[in-house]
This record gives sequence, structure tokens and C-alpha cells, in this order.
Amino acid sequence: MHGQQAGQWGWLLAVAPAAPLAASLILAAFGRRLSARAVAWTAVTAVGVAAAAVAGAVAVYLSGGLLRLAPAGWWWQPGSQAPGLGVGLQGDGLSLWFALIVTGVGFLIHVYSVGYMAGDPGFARYFAELTYFLFAMLLLVLADGLMGMLLGWANVGLASYLLIGFWHHRPDARAASMKAFLVTLTGEVGIVLASGMLWGAAGTLRFAELAERAGGLSREVAVAAGLLLLWAAAAKSAQLPLHVWLPDAMAGPTPVSALIHAATMVTAGVYLTARMHPLYAAVPQASLAVAWVGAASCLFGAVVACGQTDIKRVLAYSTMSQVGYMLMGVGLLAQMAGLFHFFTQAFFKALLFLAAGLVIHRLQGEQDLTRMGGLARSMPLAYWATWAGALAMAGIPPFSGYFSKEAVLEAAWSRGQTGLWAAGTLAAGLTGFYSFRLLALAFLGPGRGPGGSRGVQQAATAAGHHEEPAVLRRAMEVPVAVLAVLSAVGGLAWVPGRTGWVPRMLEPVFGTTAAHGPAGEAHGAAGAVGWLPVALAAAGACLALYLYGPGARAAGRRWRAPAGLQRALAEGLYVDLAYRRTVVEAVVHLGAWLERVAETVWIDGSVRGVGALAALLSSLLGRAQAGPVRRYALGLLAGGAAVVAWAVWSTWSAG
Amino acid sequence: MSGVAVPGVAVPIQAYLAVALVLFAIGAGGLAVRRSPLAMLMCIELMWGAANLALVAFARRIGDMGGQVMAFFAITVAAAEVAIGLALVVLIFRPRPRADVDDVQELKG
Repeated sequence: MHGQQAGQWGWLLAVAPAAPLAASLILAAFGRRLSARAVAWTAVTAVGVAAAAVAGAVAVYLSGGLLRLAPAGWWWQPGSQAPGLGVGLQGDGLSLWFALIVTGVGFLIHVYSVGYMAGDPGFARYFAELTYFLFAMLLLVLADGLMGMLLGWANVGLASYLLIGFWHHRPDARAASMKAFLVTLTGEVGIVLASGMLWGAAGTLRFAELAERAGGLSREVAVAAGLLLLWAAAAKSAQLPLHVWLPDAMAGPTPVSALIHAATMVTAGVYLTARMHPLYAAVPQASLAVAWVGAASCLFGAVVACGQTDIKRVLAYSTMSQVGYMLMGVGLLAQMAGLFHFFTQAFFKALLFLAAGLVIHRLQGEQDLTRMGGLARSMPLAYWATWAGALAMAGIPPFSGYFSKEAVLEAAWSRGQTGLWAAGTLAAGLTGFYSFRLLALAFLGPGRGPGGSRGVQQAATAAGHHEEPAVLRRAMEVPVAVLAVLSAVGGLAWVPGRTGWVPRMLEPVFGTTAAHGPAGEAHGAAGAVGWLPVALAAAGACLALYLYGPGARAAGRRWRAPAGLQRALAEGLYVDLAYRRTVVEAVVHLGAWLERVAETVWIDGSVRGVGALAALLSSLLGRAQAGPVRRYALGLLAGGAAVVAWAVWSTWSAG
Repeated sequence: MSGVAVPGVAVPIQAYLAVALVLFAIGAGGLAVRRSPLAMLMCIELMWGAANLALVAFARRIGDMGGQVMAFFAITVAAAEVAIGLALVVLIFRPRPRADVDDVQELKG
């Protein structure tokens, strides 16, 4: 029965990436000649088709089918010498789980982009690149082996590069796109190396076959491959110590930040580590390394987010922190908890970004929190959406983030990893603080710009209202409203103790232990411990509202951190500076040295040497071509005589 | 079977080869020393003739008619060669006051 369904519905898997790819190609080729309306409809329709295909695939999967699309004649097929290298598609619970979010949130953000990017001269290019990203991301999550996943992985990197640098007239956007591309590229090297090892040791790169053979791998190979894949995951998911590209990546358009750098692409590392769970299950040390990288990033991101003043950079560091929770869950082999947090984070983080986008759009590009304030009255939708997003991110019940974060922390507690639990709990408190600091600074209190932002804001409001048709405004507001609802109720997908979407999708992949861990009774014992993160988050939120909320300045309550600390947080704890002092300067010096020595001496020298050699040879040979015909004739005769003499001599000496 | 099988007189192959050698030497020497392009062409023809004579003689000696057929082909090609060679000589030397190959050195390296 499974086989039949796989054959019958496998094409759904191909439709999902093919529709955005087709739209991307159409828009890239003809986008300039199409009207903005046609461009928008092409992109949104394609993504809608992809979302429908994924929804259909999920329905098939839930009715007991396993979807698979083996590499057929239409795709590159390896020879018999290289089994297990082909690129096919598969739709198991994990793949579809990601594909569902990618297409669902992707659809909403495409709709939002229609309003946000309206009037941009690069409107068609934007949608060509955004649909291209969606194609690559779906290839990444639907591929049935490391080979296909790597193809998707590299392509999302390129799409991310293109979209971060979308406004390429801005030098910071150009630099940020390059930085993101290079840092994540180091991760691709990790995947390639790990793939080579696994192929050498297991003879396949297909996930299904790898899962069967993971237990038989030698320890060294398993640990090395696990750590290399962790490196790749950290690079893509902006985890320590490779997170430096994510805050800079905020130079891209805000919907791009929401889709690529919050909801989907940065969670590719979570997908990778979850997908390779048989490997990590075989080597607990590598698995624990994943969890610790996640926990460290979680805490680091939360600390730095508290000191950022750019609204998008706050959200970027919060993304790093939330992805840290996911990796913690996956590394603890409580994959369902980590993936559940991916699910809820996609909603509330996209929501927060899109709400921030509304603010930035209204304020005509202003992103500095210290120059905002008092927007609650004029932008009620963005205000309440940010409330929903902040409550969900802080993990206040019954908002979605509560359930998923609790699941992760509970997994850490029940597995006896107190250190991980403490880091996550502390980060939860900080999450409450920075979420509500953002909310308070942007929406509450008086305008904070020099001379008050009211004037700027009113001018912007007037400008925004008269040039923006209602349909475009609604294109931005409806996705925000939908995401706000999903952020609020998304936790119902897996109320602890009850069945829901999460177990039905993911249990066939990971088994039941991935939910609560082997010690089921620890679930109940977590009671008091379980409420601690919530209490800390609530305290953090109250503190933020007290310090930055309405009337805080009038009452003189504005807390000033020591200047050194403030500066350190604003600089992201100097990680960027450390990279610049070490890696960047080393590479620059190497480049200068190569230019001086390799370029001028080796390369130019050899090129000039070849030229000089040719000139020398030609001057020698040219003497033989001086022109006298009779000398040529003599040469011919002498040559002929020599040949005859040689023939005669060799005949005699032989005979 | 040391001689060539002609009824009556038996001319030994060495005689043919001697004639061919003399013809070839005259042609080669003339090619090397003469400066008139027409004379040089004629010298080349002499060498062709010497080679053909040797071909025919060897063919009779071995009893394989292939050599004689080859000689006919060579004669045909020689005729074409002369036609082209003369045309080239005319073209090259028409604008010059005299026909001297040592004057033609434009392509020196």
C-alpha cells in the first residue's frame, strides 16, 4: 500500500520546488516587461501552488503513505559505480514538517512583500530571487540524500547572498551579502567533507540507507562526520562561533529577513542535525556537542539582543538565541521538542519581523529603536502583533513559544543535563527582557528622536497614506494578522500530554523517545522546575516595561548600564572585532603578499618568460627562412640525401 | 632473371638505374646552381623523369605492374605541377625586370 501511494503521489514532491523555480525563471527572463501586478501574481500563485502541493503531500503522509520520488530519467543518474549518490526527493514526516513551514510562511511573506516592495525599481528581480530561494529551500528539505540536500544548501546560500545584497547600491548591503556568503560557505565545506567520509565508510549518501548503516560506522568516522556536520549547521544557523553574518544580513529587505534569516534558512542547521539523528544517536559526545553549541548560542544571542538598538538586529540576535534552543533539543535527541520550537519560532519570529517591517515602512527606513516610540496609537495592528510575538517569544503561556520552549527545557532537565537547562532557563529570562524592551521602545512612551519622532512620524504617516493604495496596505496587514493568530495558538499543535500534529508527523521518523525522553515520569516531576523559565521571562518582561515603558523617562527610571557593558553589547561582545583582528587581517595580509610575490614574480614572470622564449625561438628559426629559394632547394636535396643515406646504412647494418 | 626481360637484348637493371642516377644528378645540380625559374622547373622535370625511370625499371624487375601504374600517376601529377608552377612563375616575375629567383626574398623571416 505504501509503495502504491508513493508511486501515485510522488509527483507532489516534484511540484513543490518546480513551481517556484518556474516562477523564478519567468520573472528573471521577462520580469522587466511585466507589470508589477503580473509579477506579484506570478510569484504568489507559484508559491501558493507549492504550498498546496506540500499540503497534499502532508495529507497523503498522514493517511499512512511514504512519499518518494526516486531519480528517474529526468534527473542526473549516477553510474553503477556510484550507488547512493543520486538526487531524488522524499517526503517523510521531517521533510514535510519543514516544507509545510517553508511554503506556508513563505506564502504569507510573499503576499506581504507585494505591499512592502511596491514601487521598488527592482520589484521583479526581488520576486525572481525570493521564489528562487523558495525552490532551493524546498530542494534542501525534500532531497532524499546528502547530495541533493547539499545542492539545496548551496542554492539557498546563493539566494541569501542575492537578497541580502538586494539594495546593491548600499555598501553595507554589499559587504553583508559577501560576509554571509563566505561564512556559510565554510559550512558547505564541512558538509562536503562529511559526505566524503560517510560515502567512503557507508557507501551511500541516501538518508534512508545511512540511517540503517549509521550504527555500523567506526567511532572515529561517526564523531568526525558528526562534528563536521555540526560545523555546517552552526554556519548556516548562525550559531557560535559562526553567527557573525546574521546581524549584518539585516541589510536586506525586511521580508527577506523574516523568511530567510528568521523562519526558514537559518533553521537548515536544525534540519541537518535532526535529519542525521541516527548518526548522532550512535555517538552521544557529538550529539552533546550539538546541544552545547545550541545552549551557548542561545545564551549569547539573548545577552547581546538586550543591548542592541537597531530593531532588526535585536530580532537577528533573538533568532540566533531561539535557533539555539532548537539545536539544544535536537542535540539532546529530543528532536520533536527542537522541531516543535522551529515550528512556533517560524510563526512568531516572522510575525515580529513583519510587524517591524510595518514600522520601518511607515517611518521610511528608520530602524533605530532609540528614535522610535509612541507608535502604539497610530499603528494598532503592528502594536498588537508585536505583543503577540513578544509574548510567544518570551514563552508566556498560553502563547505558542511557551509550549515549545518548555518541551526543550524539559528534555534537558529529564535527561539530567542541568547545565544545558540552566543556560536555557537564563536565556528564557533574558528573552522576556529583550522582547519587551523592543516593544516598549518602539511603541510605548513618547517619541524619542531628537526633537521627538512625532514630527517625522506624522510626515511619514501622511506620505504613507496618500501614496499607498488600500490593496497594498492590506497585502501587508493580512499576513501579519494571520501570523499573529498562529503565534498565539500554534502551541496547540502539541499540547504536552496530548496527541497533536507534532507527534503524528514526527514520531514515525524519530520514534517515541524523541518526545519526552526515556524517563516519562520526569515529565510530571518537572512541575516547579517547569515554571521557573516562565517566571523569569515574566520578570524580565516586567523589568523591561518598567525601565522602558510609558512614563519611565518622566519618572527618571531609565537605567543606564555601565558604558563599557553597553558598548560591549552593542558590539556583539567583540566577536566581529576578534574575527577582524585574526582571520580577516590574516587573509588581507596573505592577499597582499600574494599580490607582491605570486602575482608579480610567479605569474607575471612565467607569462613574460613564455613570451620571451617564443621571441628567442622565432629569431633563431627565422634565420633559416631568409628567402633564397635555391638555398631551400639545397636544403631539400640534402635532407633527401640524408634519408637515403640512413636507409642504405640501416639496410646494410641489418643485413 | 638478372636482366630485364626484353626479347633479343637483355639490358641489365643497373643500366637503367645508372641513367636514372645521371638524370637525377643533372636535375639536382641544375636546381642548386641555376637562378632562372624556368631552368629550375626544367631541372625538377628531369628529376621527375629519373624517378619515373627507376620506378618502371624496378617494376619490371620485380614483375609487379604496380610500379608502372605509379609512374603513370606520377607523370599526370607532374603535368599538373608544371602547369601550376609555370603559372606561379609568370605571376611572380611579371612585375619584375628579370627572372631571377634570388630577387624573390620578400618572405624572409
